[in-house]
Amino acid sequence: MNFDSRKYVIISFFIITGLMYGIKLFYMQVVDTDTWKLEAQRIAEKRIEITPPRAVVFDRNGNKVVENKTYYNLMMCEEEMIDFDTVAFGKLIGMTKSEVLERIEEIKEGEGEYFNPHTKKKQTNYQRIRRYPFLKELTSEEIAKIAPKLENFSGFYEEVTSMRNYPYKSGANILGYLAEVNQTEVDNDKFYKPGYKIGRAGIERNYEKEFRGKKGVKYIVTSARQNTVGSFEDGKFDTTAVQSKGIVLGLDIDLQAYGEKLMQNKKGCIVAIEPSTGEILAMVSAPTYDPNLLVGRKNINEYYPQLVEDLNKPLFPRPLASEYMPGSTFKLIQALIGMQEGVITPSSGFPCNKSVVGCHNHAYANSVTEAVKHSCNPYFYAVTRRIIQQGKHKSSFKDSEVGIDRWAEYMHSFGLGVKLKTDIYGLRSGNIPDSKYYDHWRGKGQWKFSAIQSISIGQGEVQLTPLQLANVASIMANRGWFYTPHFVKSIDGKGPRPEYTKKNRTMVDSKFFPYVVEGMRRCVHEPGGTAPMARIPDIITCGKTGTVENFRLVNGRLIKKPNHSVFIAFAPMDDPKIAIAVFVENSGGGGGTWAAPTASLVIEKYLNGEVKSEAKEKRILDAKLSLWQ
Amino acid sequence: MRKNDSITGSFDWILFGLYIVLVVFGISTIYSVTYNPENPSIFSFSEMYGRQVFWVGVSLFLGLLVFLIDSDIYRKFSIPIYLFCVSLLVIVLFMPPINGARAWLGFGSFGIQPGEFAKIGTAILLSSYMSSFNVKQQNGRTVLVSLAIIIVPMLLIILQPDAGTFVVFTAFFFVMYREGLTFDPIVLKIVNAIPGVKFRSTWLGTHFIPILFVVVFLLVITLIIGHEPLTFDAYPGEEFSGYWRMFAALFITAILGYLIMRSLFPKREARRAFIITIIGFSMAVGITAPVHTTFKSLPSHQKTRIELWLGIYEAEEGTGNVTDGADYNRFRAMTAVGSGGFTGKGYREANVATTKTNHVPECETDFIFSPWAEERGFLGSIFLVVVYIFLLLRVIAIAERQRSKYNRVYAYSVAMILFYHFAVNVGMNIGLVPIIGIPLPLFSYGGSSMMAFSIMIFLLLKLDSQRKDVLN
Repeated sequence: MNFDSRKYVIISFFIITGLMYGIKLFYMQVVDTDTWKLEAQRIAEKRIEITPPRAVVFDRNGNKVVENKTYYNLMMCEEEMIDFDTVAFGKLIGMTKSEVLERIEEIKEGEGEYFNPHTKKKQTNYQRIRRYPFLKELTSEEIAKIAPKLENFSGFYEEVTSMRNYPYKSGANILGYLAEVNQTEVDNDKFYKPGYKIGRAGIERNYEKEFRGKKGVKYIVTSARQNTVGSFEDGKFDTTAVQSKGIVLGLDIDLQAYGEKLMQNKKGCIVAIEPSTGEILAMVSAPTYDPNLLVGRKNINEYYPQLVEDLNKPLFPRPLASEYMPGSTFKLIQALIGMQEGVITPSSGFPCNKSVVGCHNHAYANSVTEAVKHSCNPYFYAVTRRIIQQGKHKSSFKDSEVGIDRWAEYMHSFGLGVKLKTDIYGLRSGNIPDSKYYDHWRGKGQWKFSAIQSISIGQGEVQLTPLQLANVASIMANRGWFYTPHFVKSIDGKGPRPEYTKKNRTMVDSKFFPYVVEGMRRCVHEPGGTAPMARIPDIITCGKTGTVENFRLVNGRLIKKPNHSVFIAFAPMDDPKIAIAVFVENSGGGGGTWAAPTASLVIEKYLNGEVKSEAKEKRILDAKLSLWQ
Repeated sequence: MRKNDSITGSFDWILFGLYIVLVVFGISTIYSVTYNPENPSIFSFSEMYGRQVFWVGVSLFLGLLVFLIDSDIYRKFSIPIYLFCVSLLVIVLFMPPINGARAWLGFGSFGIQPGEFAKIGTAILLSSYMSSFNVKQQNGRTVLVSLAIIIVPMLLIILQPDAGTFVVFTAFFFVMYREGLTFDPIVLKIVNAIPGVKFRSTWLGTHFIPILFVVVFLLVITLIIGHEPLTFDAYPGEEFSGYWRMFAALFITAILGYLIMRSLFPKREARRAFIITIIGFSMAVGITAPVHTTFKSLPSHQKTRIELWLGIYEAEEGTGNVTDGADYNRFRAMTAVGSGGFTGKGYREANVATTKTNHVPECETDFIFSPWAEERGFLGSIFLVVVYIFLLLRVIAIAERQRSKYNRVYAYSVAMILFYHFAVNVGMNIGLVPIIGIPLPLFSYGGSSMMAFSIMIFLLLKLDSQRKDVLN
C-alpha cells in the first residue's frame, strides 16, 4: 500500500498552522496593537512626577529666612527582608522587638483595603514588594548612626527627603508653616498627592503656587518588581522640575527678631512698614513661637496641640486678625477728615469741656496741631460731632445717618474697615461702623451722634487691626497716600507685584496733613506731649499715643481690664523711612508708657542699626505684662 | 563513484542555511533579552549569550562528529542508543528536583536534560524498527511495538514531570500515520455493525491521528466556552452548565453538515447522510461532554495552567502582583507580542519581554518568541513563522526524496518534533495554545535543546547526503 498522499495532510497541517499564526499575529500586532501597547505601558512604564524643592525665602538684606533642610526616611521592603533579626534591628533604631513588629503591622494597616472583584474579598493595598517608610524624617545625625549597619538588614533603605528650616527662628506668624494636604486639596488640585506638604498659614499659604514651583515629569521603564530599570526612550518625553528662584521679602529679619525680643513676656504686636514702598519691615505677634516647631509630621504632632491649647494663642496672628479699638491714635484721622470736610480749620480751637467726655489736664488746644499734641478728648468729640452732624438735614437722626456714611467712606480710603490686600492669609477688616451697622444694632432712626460719640476718640464700635494702624502711620508719613502693605518684594527677580505699585490716595488732601504731623512731632518732642518716652537722640519722630480702655464680659458682668497701650509713629519726620504701630495688651498705663518706648527702640534699631538707649531697652525687655502664666 | 562526491555534492545547503539563520537570530535575541552592560561581549561566559555561543560551538562540533560517522552506525546501534537514552531518563528521576521537576542531569555546574536527547534515541529506534523487514503499520503487532517504543520514554518523562516534552512525543504518532497507521478496521467494525451500513473504508479510521489532533483542539475550545456558566434572563438566579453552548454549536454544525451532505450525495444515499450525521454528532458530544465533567478532577497545577490559558483568571488590576494564580505568563507574553506593532520597538528596546524588567518570565527560553516579536514587530514575527514553515517543508521534502524507509521515518520524526515545538511555543506566546513549557527549536536559550536539535538536524543532513548509497 502506498501512503504517499498522506504527506499532503501533514504539509497542509504545517501550512494551516502557519496561516493561522500569521493571521493571529497580524491581528495582535497590526489591528489590535493599540490595546496591547496600552497594556504594555500599564505594566512596564511609569510616569514619575518630580516635585521641586519649595522656594527659598530671603529678607530685604539677602538673609536666608526660610531654607530647605535634608532629612532621611528609613524605608522598608518586606519582600527583601530575609532573616530579619527584629531584636538587633530594634536595638539599632532604639525600639524593642515588639515595637518593631507593631510598627510593621501599623504600616500594613495604614495602607487600607480594597475590594477584589475576582476573589470577591477585601484585600489589603499593602504589597510586600513595595517600599514603605518605616521611620520618617530622621536627621542626618540620626541616620548616620543607622545607615552604616543597614547592610546587615536586607530590605531596609535610606531615602532622602527635604523639609523646611528657619535659621532665624523668627517671624513664625508671617512665614506660616506647612502641613500635609487633606483629601479635598488632593481632589481639587492635581499637583498634590497624599503626603504632599501645603502652606497652611502665613505667606507659605498665600504664595503656595509660587513656593511650590513647577513639577517635572519623568517616564521610566519599570520591572515586574516595580523597580526602575531605565528611562523611557532616553528621556525623550521627560520635563525637568523648576524650583522658584527665590522669594525676597521686604522683611528685615534682624528687626523682626529684635521686635520679638522686645515683646517677650508681653502680649501685643509691632508692625513696621517702609512708607515709601509699603513693604512690611517687621510684624511681631507676641507671644510667638519658633517656626521650626511646626516642621515635619513628628514635630507637628508634638507641638501643634500645645500651641493650639496655649491660652496666650501663639498661633493667632494678632497683627492681622486681632481687632483692637485704636484709642486716641484715631484722632489723627478725625482731625484730617474735619479739615477736609471744612467743618474745622487748622486753627479751630475747642474748649476742653470735661462734662462731655473725660480728659486729662492740659493747656487749651487752640489749633488742630495742639489738639493732637495734647490728645484732647472733648476737642475731638466736638470735631467728630461736626463731621457726623453737619446740619444738612432737619432731623438730627437723618443728619447723623448721612454724616456717618460719609465719615465711613473717608475711613475706608485710609484702609480702615476694609480688608487690606496684603499678601498674607488671615487678614481681618476691623470695623468702621456706618448707618447700616447702627440701624442693625439700634434700629433705624433710633440713633444719632450722641449715642455713638465714643467713636470720636477711637473707642466703642471702632476696631482696627494693628496692620491697618501701621498703615495709618505710613499714610501720615507719606502725607496722604499709601501703597498696600505687603511682604513680598520680588518673586523670581521679577520685582514688586503690580497691585503693590499702585498709589492709594486718601480722600483727604495732602495740604491738611502737615498740621496733624506737626502735632505728632510735638507729641513726642515738646513738653506736655503725650509721648516723651519715644524720643530718640538726633531723630525727629512723629507719633501719637493711644490708651485703650477695654472691658470683658465675665459671668455677665463687664469687668474693666487693664488698658491697652497703643502708639503709632514714623521717623524721620522729613524723610520717613519707617512707620510703626505698637500694641501692648492689658499693660495698664497709657500709650506713652509701654508702646511709645517700644516703638522708639524699633525705630532706633532700624534707622541706626543699633540701640543706644540702653536703659529704655532694659526696661522694656524686663517688663512682664499681661500674660496669664 | 557517486559515493565519493556525495559528501559535498548531496549536502542540503538550504536546510543547513535555515539552521544557521535560526541559530544566529536566536543568539541575537538572547543577547538582547539578557544583555548585561557590565559584560557586553557576546562571548562573555558569565552571561547567557556567552554560554549560548558556547553551546552552539559544542553543537556544531557534535554535528560535525555526527556527520563524520557512517550513517549505518546509528541504524546498527539504534537499540543501545535508545536504551542509553531511556536509562538516562531513569537516572534523572533520582536527581534533586529543579523548579519542581527532576529533568536535569547535573555534571558540575552544567546540566543536561535527557528528555531532549530521548527524542533522538526514540526517533532512531522507531526508524530502525519501522524499516525492518515485514513490519507494517497495518499489522497490530507492529503498532504495539511502535507504541511501546514511544510510550516508555513518555512515561518516564511524565514522572519528572515534564508535560511539555510528554506532549512532544505524541509527534511520533504522526510519523506512524505517515507510514500507514490506520484505525480503519476498528472503525469499520463499529460503523458496519449498524444495520444497513456497509463501508469499505472510512476517513475517520484512515486519518485517525490528524483527526484526533483536531479533536483535541476542539476539546480545548470546549473547555473555554464551557467554563462560564449559562444564565438566562427568563430564569433569574438559575445557572446552567456552560457546556450547552458547545452542544448548541455541535448541533448547528450537524444540521448544516447534514444539509450539505444531502445536496452533495445522490438522492438514494439520503439515509446514509442522516446516519453519518447522527454518528458524527453523537461522537462529538460523546467526546466533548465528559471532558467538561472530568476537567475538575485533574491535578490542580495542570488544571490551573489550563484554566490560566482559558482566561478564567485575569491579570490582577493595578497592583501588578507577581502571585500565582493570575493569568500572568500568557497575558504578559501576549502583551509583549501585541505591543511590538508592525515594525517593532527596535533591537534591545523591549520593555516587557526582557530579563531587565522580567515582566515575561523565562523570556529567554520558553517565551523567547515574545521578545523577538516585541522588538521586530509583525514583520519580524511573520519572518520567523515563514522561516520555520519553510524549514518544516524542507524537512518533508528531504523525507520524501529518501529511498530508504529508515531515512524517511527519521526525517518525518524530525519534521514532526520541530513542528510540535514550533506550534506549541509560538502558539502559547500568542494565546492559541496552552502554556506548555517547551523551547523554540534552535532559538531558545539552553544547551540541551540546542545540542539535541543540532544532532537531530545534522544526522538528517548526513542521512540525506548518503541517500543514494542506499539500496544501490
